[in-house]
Amino acid sequence: MVMGEKKEAQPAPKPEEPRIGVYVCHCGLNIAVSVDCADVAKFAATLPQVVLAQDNRYTCSDQGQEGIKKDIKEKNLNRVVVASCSPRLHEPTFRKACEDAGLNKYLFEMANIREHCSWVHLYDKDAATQKAKDLVKMAVAKAALLTPAEETEVPIIRKALVIGGGVAGIQAALDLADTGYKVYLVEKQPSIGGMMARIDKTFPTMDCSICILAPKMSDVGHHPEIDLLTNSEVAEVKGYIGNFHVKVLKKPRYVTKDCSACGECTKVCPITAPNEFDVGLATRHGIYTPFAQAVPSTYIIDMNLCLNKDGVVVCDKCMKACERQAVNFEMKPETVDLEVGTIVVATGADVFDPSTLPSYGYGKYPNVITSLEFERLINAGGPSHGHLLKPSDMQIPKRVAFVQCVGSRSDKTGRLYCSNVCCMNTIKDSLLIKEHWPNTEIYVFYVDIRAYGKGFEDLYIRARNAGVKFIRGLPAEIKEDKKTHGLWLMGENTLQKELYRTDVDLVVLSVGLEARKDSEIIQRLLTLSRNQDGFFLEAHPKLRPVDAATGGIFFAGCAESPKDIKDSVTQASAAAARAGILMAKGKVTVEAITPIFFPEKCKACGLCTKVCPYNAITLDKDSKQIHIVEAACGGCGTCSAECPFGALTQNHFTDAQITAQIDAVTEKDADKKVVAFCCNWCSYAGADFAGVSRMQYPPNLRIIRTMCSGRVAPKFVERAFAKGAAAVMVTGCHIGDCHYINANYQTQKRVERLWKKMDQSGIDKQRLQLLWCSAAEGERFAQKAREMKAVVVNVTSEQIKKARKVFEKALEDA
Amino acid sequence: MPERIKHEPLDSKEQVKPEAEIHIITDQCKGCGYCIKFCPQKVLEESREINARGVHPPRIVDETKCIICSFCTAVCPDFAIFVLDKPHEETVKNE
Repeated sequence: MVMGEKKEAQPAPKPEEPRIGVYVCHCGLNIAVSVDCADVAKFAATLPQVVLAQDNRYTCSDQGQEGIKKDIKEKNLNRVVVASCSPRLHEPTFRKACEDAGLNKYLFEMANIREHCSWVHLYDKDAATQKAKDLVKMAVAKAALLTPAEETEVPIIRKALVIGGGVAGIQAALDLADTGYKVYLVEKQPSIGGMMARIDKTFPTMDCSICILAPKMSDVGHHPEIDLLTNSEVAEVKGYIGNFHVKVLKKPRYVTKDCSACGECTKVCPITAPNEFDVGLATRHGIYTPFAQAVPSTYIIDMNLCLNKDGVVVCDKCMKACERQAVNFEMKPETVDLEVGTIVVATGADVFDPSTLPSYGYGKYPNVITSLEFERLINAGGPSHGHLLKPSDMQIPKRVAFVQCVGSRSDKTGRLYCSNVCCMNTIKDSLLIKEHWPNTEIYVFYVDIRAYGKGFEDLYIRARNAGVKFIRGLPAEIKEDKKTHGLWLMGENTLQKELYRTDVDLVVLSVGLEARKDSEIIQRLLTLSRNQDGFFLEAHPKLRPVDAATGGIFFAGCAESPKDIKDSVTQASAAAARAGILMAKGKVTVEAITPIFFPEKCKACGLCTKVCPYNAITLDKDSKQIHIVEAACGGCGTCSAECPFGALTQNHFTDAQITAQIDAVTEKDADKKVVAFCCNWCSYAGADFAGVSRMQYPPNLRIIRTMCSGRVAPKFVERAFAKGAAAVMVTGCHIGDCHYINANYQTQKRVERLWKKMDQSGIDKQRLQLLWCSAAEGERFAQKAREMKAVVVNVTSEQIKKARKVFEKALEDA
Repeated sequence: MPERIKHEPLDSKEQVKPEAEIHIITDQCKGCGYCIKFCPQKVLEESREINARGVHPPRIVDETKCIICSFCTAVCPDFAIFVLDKPHEETVKNE
C-alpha cells in the first residue's frame, strides 16, 4: 500500500511570493467572437502578483503550451492561469505542460471563459468581456493561494467485473479474459446471450444471430479466466477505482452442475407457463432451459411456479426423472464477495411496451405483434419453428404491415429519441418474409428511413427491389375485422398527400429501445449519471465515450444508448481496452483533493465522521482524535464544510481559496451579481452543456467550482451576502445521483438552515436558491440563470444592506 | 426478461395435461385434514358428509387441477386416498 492514514498537516514552508502568468485564449473565434481577449489580458496584467499576461489564438496548441513552459522557466512563473474553455476539457492538458516545465500541477488554475461566458453571451460583447475579466480575477485570486501537492497512488486489483451477459458483456468479458485478467461476468437471467440470442437474423449481412453468438457464449462458459455468475444480481458495490468490493447475490437454480441438459425432467414437470424468452409465444415447464443454446446449459427450476415451496418436497417428478440426480431443492441463495479493480456496465436495454398506445390495438387484436415477437416467430428455433403465423388462426399471412417508430421520436407517444436499430431491423425482417414467402405483400409505414451504416443502404435498395412498399406516414389508427381478425390501417401518405386505408393480415409494430427499468438500481450502486432519456451518461460524448464519470467504470452496449450489434461489440472491445489500460498499469494516482487537518483546532465533536459518505474519518473517543484514511476519501470536501471550528479544509479547494474567489466576484457591482457554486460532476457540467449548446442566459452569473455541492460551507454563502452579493445559487447533482454517494444531502440541509436564518432575519429567501441539475440539463441551468436575473432586478439596496449586516460576522474569519 | 406478455402461447393447446382420477376411501379417513392442507393445487376441501368414523372426509373441488404429485397419498396416515393417472390414449378415445 502506498497510502495509509493521513498525516497531520506539516507546517508549510514559507511560500515564495507568487509570480502569476495569465494566458487568455481566443480559441479561434469561439471566445474572441464575444470577448475582447486583448482587453481581458490587459486587465489581467493590472491584477496583483500577475507578472505576465497575454492573449493567444490557441493556448492548447503545442505552440501555446510551449510558450507557457518557456515563460515558467524564463520568467520564473510559479503560478499559471489559463482563461479558455472548461477545466473539465483542458485542465489535464495545461497541468501536464506545467509539470513538464517543473511546476507542480496544483499551481495551475483555469478560468472558463468559453462554456460559461463567450458561448452563452454571444450577442453582448461588453457584458461578456466584463464577465471574462471577473472570471480571470477570480482565478488569479485563487491562484495566488494555491499550494503544491503530491498525488497518492492507489494499486489496482487486476480483476474485472462485467455486469450483463448480452453480446456486449460477452465481448467485454472475452477481451479482458484473453488479455489475461480474471473476469467475473454477472447475468440476471438463467443464461447469457441477452437480446441477440432472441433475434433471428442480423442486419445487414443476414447472418443467423444465434449461430454467430453461440460460439462466443460457449467460449465464455469454458474460458479459464471467466467466472460466470448467472441468475445473479449485483447487490452492493463499495470502494473506488482499482479497489471495488462487490457483493453478488447468487440465486439458486435448484439444479446442480451435474445436469446433462437431457431434458427428461421437463417432460414430467406438471406445471406450465409462458416462456419469457419467446415473449410468451411458447410454453415452458417449471423446470426448464430458456433456449437450446443456453450457457450454462444447466436447467433451472422456477420457484414461483414449482409446487415445492419452503423446502417441502410435494412433487418429486423431476427428481425421479433425473438420472444424474442433479435436482436439489435444498439449494439456498448465496452472497459472493468479489474484489475487482474495474467494472464494465453492459446491462442492455428494454423494448418499448406498445400497449400504452391504444390506437394500435396491441394486446387487444391478436394479429398485432411487436418486432421482438416477430423475431421469435420467424426463428426456426422459436415457437412456430420459423413459420410466420397469425396468432388468431395459425395461418401464414398474405399481407403484412410494419409500423415504424413505435415508441420512438415522439414525446407524446413514447420517447423523443431515435432508437437507431428499428429501421434496419424492419428492412431485414421484410426481406426475410420475402425470402420464405415471396408472394407476401409487405407495407412499411415510416417517418424517415435511417439507413446510415455500412451496407445499410444496399439492404434498403434490395428490399425495395424485392417489392416491399414503403409508405411515408404512420397510421393514425389500426382497426380489426372482428370476424376474420384482419386488420386495416388508416393514415395519411405524407408524400402524396392522400389518405390511405390498407388491409393486412398481420401488423408488426417496430418497437423502440428504452433504458432498462432497473437502471436506477445500477445507477445508485455505482454512483453513475443518466441522461434525460434514462441511458447512462459517458464522461465525454466525443473523447471518452465508454468511460463513466466515476473512475474505473466503463460502458458497453445499449446501457449507454440504443445501438446495433456491431456497435455494441465495438464499444465492448473499447471498454475492455480502457479497463485493461488501468489494470495493465496496476496503479492509479488519486487527485490531491483530500482533507487537510489542523489538529490544534479540532474539538473531537465527530460531526465530520457523520457526514463523510465514505466513512473515511473515524473518531477515537478515548484519545479524542480523528483519523482520516486518505485511501478511502472520495474528495467531496463535505467534512470541511461541516467542521464548525475550521479544523478541516480541502486541498486545492481550501476555505481561503474559495473565500478569495467570492471576494473577487463581490469587489465591484456585487449588488448586480449572482454567486453560483457548482459541483464538478453535474451542475458545472450542466453549465458547460448549456455553453456547448449555445443556450443564452444573462451575464451576471459567476460560477465557483467545487468538487461537490457538499463542499459549500454556509460561511461561503454568508460571506457572499456580507459582501453585498444580490443572490447566491448553490447547485449540485440531483438527490440520489450524487457523485459522492450522498454528500448532497448535507448541501440540502445546510441550505435549508440558511433559508431559516434568512426568514428569521427578514431577508428574501429567493436570494438564495438551490438547484439540482444534471450534466445533461443545460437548459435547466440556463433557465435558472434567467430566473435569477429576475430575482436580482427586484433586490433593493436596503435589502442588500440588511443582508450585509445580518451576515457581517462571516467577514471575521478567513 | 421484462417484456409484458400479451399473446397466448401458440402451443398452449398442445400441452398434455395430466388427467387425474382421485380415489378417496371415505370410511377409512379419520379427518386429520393433511391431504387438504398439503395439496399444492388446492384440489380438496372438507366435505359436509360424516363417514363411518364420525368425521368429515375430504371432497374433490376440481379434479382437473390435480397434477398427480400423489403427495396426499404420501401424507395420509390411514391410506385413505390415492390418485391414478388416466392413460392419455384413453382420454383421446373418450373425446
